[in-house]
Amino acid sequence: MREYKLVFTGTTGAGKTTAIAAISEAAPIRTDVANTDTTIDKASTTVGLDFGQISLANGDRLRLFGTPGQVRFDFMWKILVRDAFGIIILIDNSRPDPLADLNLYINGFEQELLTTPCVIGVGRTEAHSHPSLDDFSIALEKQNLILPIIPVDVRNADDVNMLIGILMAQTEAEMI
Amino acid sequence: MSIPDYIANAAKDECNNLLSEQNGILAVVIASIDGFDVASSVSKMLDPSRIAAMASSIAAIGSVVTQEVSLGSSKSVTVNTEDGFVYITYLELAGVNYVLNVVADKTAILAQVIYRCGEIGKRLKNN
Repeated sequence: MREYKLVFTGTTGAGKTTAIAAISEAAPIRTDVANTDTTIDKASTTVGLDFGQISLANGDRLRLFGTPGQVRFDFMWKILVRDAFGIIILIDNSRPDPLADLNLYINGFEQELLTTPCVIGVGRTEAHSHPSLDDFSIALEKQNLILPIIPVDVRNADDVNMLIGILMAQTEAEMI
Repeated sequence: MSIPDYIANAAKDECNNLLSEQNGILAVVIASIDGFDVASSVSKMLDPSRIAAMASSIAAIGSVVTQEVSLGSSKSVTVNTEDGFVYITYLELAGVNYVLNVVADKTAILAQVIYRCGEIGKRLKNN
């Protein structure tokens, strides 16, 4: 049995904790505390990490880690991404500037993205169609990156599994 | 979330006093549990906002560990290093939990810091 580490990161409120809870086989470990930041419309926020696990059909296991979203916790990003086989960046398209949000995490994980497969999941696209997925692609191209960009509802386990499946496929493609 | 000025001032005074009165203290930071510094006193080039965020992460991870192993609520976390220690505990300001973080070099005495932090917690709770 092999174990893989997967990291969910991205905007505060984009659903990192929700995504892990949607697919984890056991109750996820959470470090949510009361949010005192009035610029963010959330009752609680992750300040340490989220953790969950799932088993794959072949017996391998995925260990799922979620980072805090806020930049002030970027030291946790560096801790959690060590030895990760993949990174999922979740973006909330209802926020004022989702492309700037994406850039924040692309820059925050700049070194890791040189060697680690990554998928971008964009949430709330049905109610907030701008920027479009093409706009995200163009923004990535400007950074010399070509990454899958997928609209997702992370409350839906199928959507989260789809993100992971794309990430795994990317990994396998790179191994060929 | 804002706290009354007189409590914020009292918290700032407590940070200053601990830093100046106790040998080896490098930083005293009181942070909200989601990582914002509300009162601090630091020496050297330490950034209170970074310390506040790290203290809240460590405190939260400490809490989740004690919940996982059914040891009750976490009261403090100590990180011992070659050159000193970091001590993190909780205190209450205006009925809300905050994190008190002390960074010290090896000339500081951990037991004294723990005692002083307890006294600070009592005084600020009753403020």
